[in-house]
Amino acid sequence: MPHDSSRPGADSGASTHDDTPPDAAEAMALLTAQQKRVDSEMMGPVPWLYGIWGIAWLVGFLLLWSAWPDGNPWFTVPWAVAIPGYAILILGAIVASVVFGIRINRGVRGTSDFQGMVYGLSWSICGTAFTALGVGLIDNGLSPELASVYFPSAFGLMVGTLYLGGAALWRDRTQLVTGIALLVVASIAPFFGYPHNNLVTAVLGGGAFLAGAVASIAQLRRTR
Amino acid sequence: MTELDPVIHAAARLRITASLAAIPVGDRIAFPRLQELLDMTAGNLSTHLRKLEDAEYVTVTKTHQGRSPATYLELSKRGRRAFEDYMDALRSVLGETP
Repeated sequence: MPHDSSRPGADSGASTHDDTPPDAAEAMALLTAQQKRVDSEMMGPVPWLYGIWGIAWLVGFLLLWSAWPDGNPWFTVPWAVAIPGYAILILGAIVASVVFGIRINRGVRGTSDFQGMVYGLSWSICGTAFTALGVGLIDNGLSPELASVYFPSAFGLMVGTLYLGGAALWRDRTQLVTGIALLVVASIAPFFGYPHNNLVTAVLGGGAFLAGAVASIAQLRRTR
Repeated sequence: MTELDPVIHAAARLRITASLAAIPVGDRIAFPRLQELLDMTAGNLSTHLRKLEDAEYVTVTKTHQGRSPATYLELSKRGRRAFEDYMDALRSVLGETP
């Protein structure tokens, strides 16, 4: 039970103003400000995640589109540049996601550990599975042209699906909308035919992530 | 009911309780991370946490990460209820309908 020394006014031993009872309006303001602070600190890395993936997709798939002979009409990027460039962008985004993902829940333990771990593992498990399917198809005679239709859409469908899961777990509308947008982009991109499906994935897929970044910044502003 | 719970109704403990209430039920937060979210000195935070712990509003879990000891904090069921009651009382003092 609370002892007397913690009662307002009786706190003669308090050395800081921290112990002074605020009036009700001040108390409400303090409370609201602090809860917003916690939310914004926890959510802080989220726009970066969207932004990094937006840039990786936009630049990465533009590189691939520009490497195909019938792709970019303005300039051609040699495959020796496009493939490593794409790989560095995607690997960099994966590393950044892991680092930011860990930062978001830094110092918090408990029942959310399991959901965080399963969700984190889902990315590597699904990434491996979708890649294995693509390699299996190539092994069965899938041409490089068709592989270039398969991979962007496979990853788009994977990310879109995982975002829907994330939206359900954290009741997050930005993830929900971005996830649906990615599913739509990945589903329609093959109909543009290769190599232009890469352009569609770059602009609309990358754009969906960047829109997610803007939406999550706006969401953070509202909580600040 | 307009009596404001004196355990919570002090600037520092109000901010601590609000921060802990923002952590999902079933999760606990490390002392240094909580300190960061509050911009409080370790000594000051400890003092106020002790008062919340004495009132059984906060549950303290001491554990080890590797070799270094780590302290985790969470609102107890009683603490969460007290915070909800405090919010209701505050709203009624302010003339808002809870």
